[in-house]
Amino acid sequence: MAALAAASSASPPASPGFVHGLGGGLLETAQTAGGMTLLLVRVVSRLVRLQFDRQELMRNLYKMGVKSIPIVIVTSLFTGGIMVIQAAPIVKRYAAQGLLGWAAGFGTLREIGPLLTALMLSGRVGANNTAELGTMVVTEQIDALRALAIDPISFLVTPRVIAFVTTLFLATLYADALALFGAAYAGYGLLDVEPRVFYNGLTSGLLTLSDVGVGLVKSVVFGVVMSLASCHFGLTVQGGAPGVGRAVNATVVASAASIFILDYFVSFSL
Amino acid sequence: MISFRNVKKSFGPKAVLKGVSFDVNDGEVFFIIGASGVGKSVLIKHLIGLLYPDDGEIFLDGEEVSRFDEERMYPVRKKCAMVFQHSTLFDSMSCVENVMLPLKKHKGMTDKEARDDALKRLKQVHMREFADRFPSELGDGMRKRVAIARALTLDPTYVLFDEPTTSLDPVSARRVDHLIRELSDTVGVTSIVVSHDLVSIFSIADRIVMLYQGQVKMLGTRDEFRSTPDPIIQQFINGRAEGPMET
Ligand SMILES: Nc1ncnc2c1ncn2[C@@H]1O[C@H](COP(=O)(O)OP(=O)(O)O)[C@@H](O)[C@H]1O
Ligand SMILES: [Mg+2]
Repeated sequence: MAALAAASSASPPASPGFVHGLGGGLLETAQTAGGMTLLLVRVVSRLVRLQFDRQELMRNLYKMGVKSIPIVIVTSLFTGGIMVIQAAPIVKRYAAQGLLGWAAGFGTLREIGPLLTALMLSGRVGANNTAELGTMVVTEQIDALRALAIDPISFLVTPRVIAFVTTLFLATLYADALALFGAAYAGYGLLDVEPRVFYNGLTSGLLTLSDVGVGLVKSVVFGVVMSLASCHFGLTVQGGAPGVGRAVNATVVASAASIFILDYFVSFSL
Repeated sequence: MISFRNVKKSFGPKAVLKGVSFDVNDGEVFFIIGASGVGKSVLIKHLIGLLYPDDGEIFLDGEEVSRFDEERMYPVRKKCAMVFQHSTLFDSMSCVENVMLPLKKHKGMTDKEARDDALKRLKQVHMREFADRFPSELGDGMRKRVAIARALTLDPTYVLFDEPTTSLDPVSARRVDHLIRELSDTVGVTSIVVSHDLVSIFSIADRIVMLYQGQVKMLGTRDEFRSTPDPIIQQFINGRAEGPMET
């Protein structure tokens, strides 16, 4: 409070609060980025030496991956359907039934599949991860691990990063397939486009494997950044249980923001 | 042998340790006493690199450990185990899995071997029948006993007990006292025990140090503590509400 008051009285009257806030925000962002980079270096150094806990990896793959299947199924089936509903007026007006498969496929594989799957998992998996690690920090379980001469990065963080990236990659692949399936059936129900015609539109040569590839590259980039963010915010929790709440919040916001920013850059460069 | 040399530690503006020095001899049961918040937990965390001093040195077997990085701390932590004040069992693992973890990580045991060994160790602290329960299903006292079993898995030379008998029933508390004394008498383990438990202090301590206002107030044997005329120490060891002690 005192620092804030001193800063605002020392600076010129023109909106000192805004400048102060902007500076603080930039500083905080730089700190987070620095922390995540450091964490990445540490995780990679454990990865190349194969120093990570196998059991913890399996537990996290199950918790993150298997348990996320229902939510991925529901969202991707409906997403496919929604794409068709949006395309319906144009398809009808120009009688472009043959292009429906291409349109749905292009949007889904390159953009909607990876984007929506990442957003779904940031809420489910990322938030959960931060809460779990944050609770371990405030209850001194991380210190207890270090006191037992066990490295928290290889025991807790590296397995979570691997599990998160794997889960997001597989879930995206899975969501792509399901969304196209949903789109094909919505096309049949709403526009009388035979699934076979839809399939032909999808495979007629306008779409290539590189479209699938772009989406999957995105999912890996998202996975790395989201897993690092969720572990970073979890491990740096301060101030007991309320601190865990703030960290979870920070993870969800930072993940969503970085997904969109990274999506822009990956789309631009590929 | 453990030596603290003029150890100072502040958190922000708050000076907690203002130059603490004392030695702990091999094989003894050494108690650290003092009011809550005086910095007892903070002090012992320095020994295994969970906190670093602002100033001063800490020697463990002749090595100056207080500037070791995380990597070099691991061997230190293997020979100097710690039982935390709030037990700190891993929530995601059952009691027996908690005890198995260091056995698998550091002694290269298989699941089966580690489990057998862990069950034996749980029996020692009378927790055998709760082996497959999770920490959240147990009371404080029970968790603390599992934490003691876990800390002893690596057969340490030094053990730091942070309030081992707080929140234990009297019978379990005396069993823990007995265990600490026995570790010292039969295996030669050096124990540093942070405690408020007057019964423990006056039944098993070889030597006692009292911290007061960030410094060593007195270091001595049980008898020396009982017979000192110092009014602050008398107030503390007799548990009197009225007196000159400031908290
Ligand atoms: N990580 C920390 N950050 C800030 N202050 C701390 C931290 N750890 C301990 N303290 C403060 O140091 C003082 C001593 O704490 P502690 O060693 O836990 O006391 P006790 O003697 O009861 O074990 C307390 O005032 C506590 O608030
Ligand atoms: Mg304490």
